[in-house]
Amino acid sequence: MTSAALQTRSMKRTLDALIIAVMIVLAIGMLLPFLWLFSTSFRPTAEAYKLPPSFLPPNLDLVNYAKVFASRVPFIQIYLNSVLIAAVVTVGQLVTCTLAAFAFSRLKFKGRDALFVVLLIGLMFPAQVTILPIYLGYARIGLINQPIGLALMYLTSSFGVFLMRQFMLSQPRELEEAGLMDGASYLKIFWRISLPQLRPALSALGIITFTQTWNYYFQARVLLAKETSMTLPVGMDVLRGYLQSGSLSLVMAAMSMSILPVVLLFLIAQKFVIEGITMSGIKS
Amino acid sequence: MPTSILYLSFVLVPVVLTVILSFSYYDPMMGSHWVGLDNYTRFFTNPRSLQIFWNTLRFTFFAVTFNVSIGLILAIALNRAMPGWLLYFFRLAFFLPVIIAAAFVSIVWSYFFGDDLGVINYFLRLVGLSNVRWLTDSGMAMTSIIIMDVWKNTGFFMIIFIAALQGLPKPITEAALMDGTPPWRQFFRITLPYISPVVFFCIVYASIGALQVYESIVILTKGGPGDATRSLSILIVEEGFGSFQIGYAAAISVVMTVIILIITGIQQMLSRRWVQR
Repeated sequence: MTSAALQTRSMKRTLDALIIAVMIVLAIGMLLPFLWLFSTSFRPTAEAYKLPPSFLPPNLDLVNYAKVFASRVPFIQIYLNSVLIAAVVTVGQLVTCTLAAFAFSRLKFKGRDALFVVLLIGLMFPAQVTILPIYLGYARIGLINQPIGLALMYLTSSFGVFLMRQFMLSQPRELEEAGLMDGASYLKIFWRISLPQLRPALSALGIITFTQTWNYYFQARVLLAKETSMTLPVGMDVLRGYLQSGSLSLVMAAMSMSILPVVLLFLIAQKFVIEGITMSGIKS
Repeated sequence: MPTSILYLSFVLVPVVLTVILSFSYYDPMMGSHWVGLDNYTRFFTNPRSLQIFWNTLRFTFFAVTFNVSIGLILAIALNRAMPGWLLYFFRLAFFLPVIIAAAFVSIVWSYFFGDDLGVINYFLRLVGLSNVRWLTDSGMAMTSIIIMDVWKNTGFFMIIFIAALQGLPKPITEAALMDGTPPWRQFFRITLPYISPVVFFCIVYASIGALQVYESIVILTKGGPGDATRSLSILIVEEGFGSFQIGYAAAISVVMTVIILIITGIQQMLSRRWVQR
């Protein structure tokens, strides 16, 4: 190797180190809002606004957290609503999307591809264009201000079917075909052979769906306006309004608790989240 | 199949109904009637709704441009050998904002963007600059919302681009390196053309999201000052659920959907051309 090539190689290494150093600074900058929210939740209420801002908790006193539960906003109820909706939607989508994807990738039936295209078109319709008729329909059957109403809307998703189908198409089908030869039923093949292979895709879809549902705001604000039926994203805004400027620490304590499930999920299963996202992003 | 029924009742039928509603004046008490294109004419001739339309398009343009280009730059910066824990940390830092609800982080940012008590202004004063009225100045408010949006969403595109860059065939990049091709040239001649379908997907995906912008604006500025940051989604909710102008709100949402369809259509056309080449 020539000395010039060696030189460029060592230059490249220095450059690499430099870039990574810059990225570390940037990454810490990205995390500042979260550090601020977490540390503010531990500040005494009287000092919440005091500058300089704190990015590390001054103590680990949970008094602000306790006050959230004692406030006028039914925080526990709101939290449970969020949990209920996210759980129902996640389980629902795992079931419906997997079954539909199985049909689209393994069964042959008339109009299958056309039906799949129709389903994909659904990816392009924003909630804004479906919410009015759903609201009017719900008003008629009494589903307004019922958390289950929001959950019903999202029991299946084009994205989920698409994701599962992509994954199933990349899986070998020999085992399934062998099962078919042996005279096993479709349902049995699905349950015994396809499903275990799908674990990574199911994890990815489950995590993405849970996070998405946990975060819905537009739909939730329209359909669940009553305090006892609210979900956390909308409830947080209400909580902030009630407490006004006096208790920033309380709002941040409520916020820390609200983002906890998603943060934990991400810390534990980062790999699945990233894989799910890139899987859906690259192939479409 | 359960999926078909759910999909039919919560997507297809509502979309059709919304289109029907958009041509009518809806009033369950006094009776509804057809109004033809009135709702659309009203939208496209009213200076206020046009202002809001323009706000949304402007937000979309800048948010998409910065989200995608910064995401690409970050991906190129991170697409190099590093220890596993460092990669985990980077993914955590850049992707955490993506998965936390905009409704939550907007509340945090509203304190960052504060005037005298704001976190950002504190640091500006620290280095001798004067306060910026991030959210209360009508010329600045939209910029602030875009800043937060880029902080929140650019990590998503970074992740997608990292995956795309890793698909780049190694021999090609190594040959270019040996030839002594300057890095910027390597980027424009080899990397960018190779990942261009992904760039395209990102632009479309980002546009669809940005056109629907809602909670970050509602929480940061409530659409103000004046109408400076009001978006189409806010207008839909105000008209549809505030003043019960259901038909008008439906027309606005149809306009939004048509723009999304056009953007997606252009992408489909262009990506088909790409495949043929």
